[in-house]
Amino acid sequence: MLMSRSVASAVSQVSSSTSSLLPNSKQLFSFKTLSGYRSSSFCGGSIRKVNHKPLQMTSSSMTPRAMASKQLENADQLIDSIETFIFDCDGVIWKGDKLIEGVPETLDMLRAKGKRLVFVTNNSTKSRKQYGKKFETLGLNVNEEEIFASSFAAAAYLQSINFPKDKKVYVIGEEGILKELELAGFQYLGGPDDGKKQIELKPGFLMEHEHDVGAVVVGFDRYFNYYKIQYGTLCIRENPGCLFIATNRDAVTHLTDAQEWAGGGSMVGALVGSTQREPLVVGKPSTFMMDYLADKFGIQKSQICMVGDRLDTDILFGQNGGCKTLLVLSGVTSISMLESPDNKIQPDFYTSKISDFLSPKAATV
Amino acid sequence: MIDLSNSRILGKKKKKKTTTTYHFTRLSPTLMAPQLLSSRTFKSLFDSVDTFLFDCDGVIWKGETLIDGVSQTLDLIRSKGKNVVFVTNNSVKSRRQYAEKFRSLGLSSVTQDEIFSSSFAAAMYLKVNNFPKDKKVYVIGGEGVLEELQIAGFTGLGGPEDGEKKAQWKSNCLFEHDKSVGAVVVGLDPNINYYKLQYGTLCVRENPGCLFIATNRDAVGHMTDLQEWPGAGCMVAAMCGSTEREPIVVGKPSTFMMDFLLQKFGTDSSRMCMVGDRLDTDILFGQNAGCKTLLVLTGVTSESDLLEKGNKIEPDYYTRTVSDITKLMDSPSK
Repeated sequence: MLMSRSVASAVSQVSSSTSSLLPNSKQLFSFKTLSGYRSSSFCGGSIRKVNHKPLQMTSSSMTPRAMASKQLENADQLIDSIETFIFDCDGVIWKGDKLIEGVPETLDMLRAKGKRLVFVTNNSTKSRKQYGKKFETLGLNVNEEEIFASSFAAAAYLQSINFPKDKKVYVIGEEGILKELELAGFQYLGGPDDGKKQIELKPGFLMEHEHDVGAVVVGFDRYFNYYKIQYGTLCIRENPGCLFIATNRDAVTHLTDAQEWAGGGSMVGALVGSTQREPLVVGKPSTFMMDYLADKFGIQKSQICMVGDRLDTDILFGQNGGCKTLLVLSGVTSISMLESPDNKIQPDFYTSKISDFLSPKAATV
Repeated sequence: MIDLSNSRILGKKKKKKTTTTYHFTRLSPTLMAPQLLSSRTFKSLFDSVDTFLFDCDGVIWKGETLIDGVSQTLDLIRSKGKNVVFVTNNSVKSRRQYAEKFRSLGLSSVTQDEIFSSSFAAAMYLKVNNFPKDKKVYVIGGEGVLEELQIAGFTGLGGPEDGEKKAQWKSNCLFEHDKSVGAVVVGLDPNINYYKLQYGTLCVRENPGCLFIATNRDAVGHMTDLQEWPGAGCMVAAMCGSTEREPIVVGKPSTFMMDFLLQKFGTDSSRMCMVGDRLDTDILFGQNAGCKTLLVLTGVTSESDLLEKGNKIEPDYYTRTVSDITKLMDSPSK
């Protein structure tokens, strides 16, 4: 018994704030599937909790109340109705560097049934190629072409808007972003090396910046420092037309399986604080990656199921994109968080982990 | 291409404040546009106030360079029997360290208790709210905050020395944090790094009841004389991004500091004039507190920023620089 999720309610949140869109972002985005493309799907910025409470339905009196999520009881029925499964990685496939139980068999089973598998992660530290290696090390048979990291998304976005090759990109982020930009043929500056640069605030000191930087890409950055913040800020404030792109805005991330770590939302927040501008977000819950792969593989959104562990990125991504959503409890979200009255994001289904697909009846949560 | 010419607009961007900020509707016959200070309007302003509140960065100095004519102007104002007080959002220094800076710039008449820095404000906030002395305070900011906390009797952790620390992220390796931290204070920190963000984030997210306090949220400021640099607003927003919480803001435009000022002078805020260079902190602070407001153009705000259509924060008066007060004091009013 599959419920069709009302997307209207999710979209009303998405379009509630206009401040997250760059003016003219609609015109810039010349991506193929744009007929009827809602610029509001870039509202990664607007999705951010304005009052820092869980996301609220902005026009709750007008839109239908979100229905409570159902525990997955008939996995086969769900599997049969879906052509493509999109999996988040952290908390779904692995935790840190450890594979979650039952994952290889589950993926093999789905492939044997002819399902397309795609992996979409907000983690921008690695490139697709590097993720491919990680999958391989963990014994999983996954092709690089099936992986969509937010590092790739940033480069793909710039390609889709025909970002000029004579302009540069300043990167506040790690290797993954640099590698993807290079593969896409863009010139870049910054990255981890700028983590070593110091500044001395003294009279007569002027920090220079390159005037041909046309975009600043900000993502998770363990080598974050004041030099980078100032460089990015100067580019955004002073280079006419400079884009401000965020790979994602996750508040915390599971860098190690033992605990949470401050995530990309922190670095992006810093640049928002100094530039007073909202970024264009290419990672979840923005639907950029969904639109990209729907176009690439020629698939219908109604035939897709998004499987993730995080409500405000994975599940919202699926809802914004108009596909089915399945929450797994093997990552950051617990059943009590899902059922809390403060939580307004209800996936279609939930289950404990993806290997529940292997049993005809779902395991007890 | 995207037009970024409005990226410098102040007062346009939403400012997330937890303290109430509101724009008083002036009970004057007409809601007037900001008036350029002239000899006539100056006299009426000067006679109606007893105390001048000055912002520092962009008003008194720029980085380490004193703005022309400031010293004579302050002396002149005092000689006419008015009080002079300094209210700065820059939390890097303590009041004592600011008094030293004034002295080094030739303004030795300024005493420590005439200076109200946001570092002082943070310590006072904890004091008036009876923050327990057995709890600690984690500081993402400069020495100034640590010193004010110590003077107020609190135990501070972090500060500049955490700028040297690096986080380790190996399996089975836990990033530890002190569970007795009951407040995280975030201010301007040119030594910001991932270690501090992670430490502060864990305290706010995991220590029950941990307060998240911001000294201020200025986006940029003149940390050096030649250009603007990211302000505390940047570090605070980084912490908002990872904690998903809004801070308590103790600096301008929050009127928290005004209580201390009113106590000091025993006067009405309507007899005070706030002189600043920033609309969304200095002028809004003055308006929120019921003071007169005078914008100077020697800092982050230009005349076109002030007069452009999108700007919603209008000071009572504006003038090019503080030393205009000296010129106007002596010229005959018409």
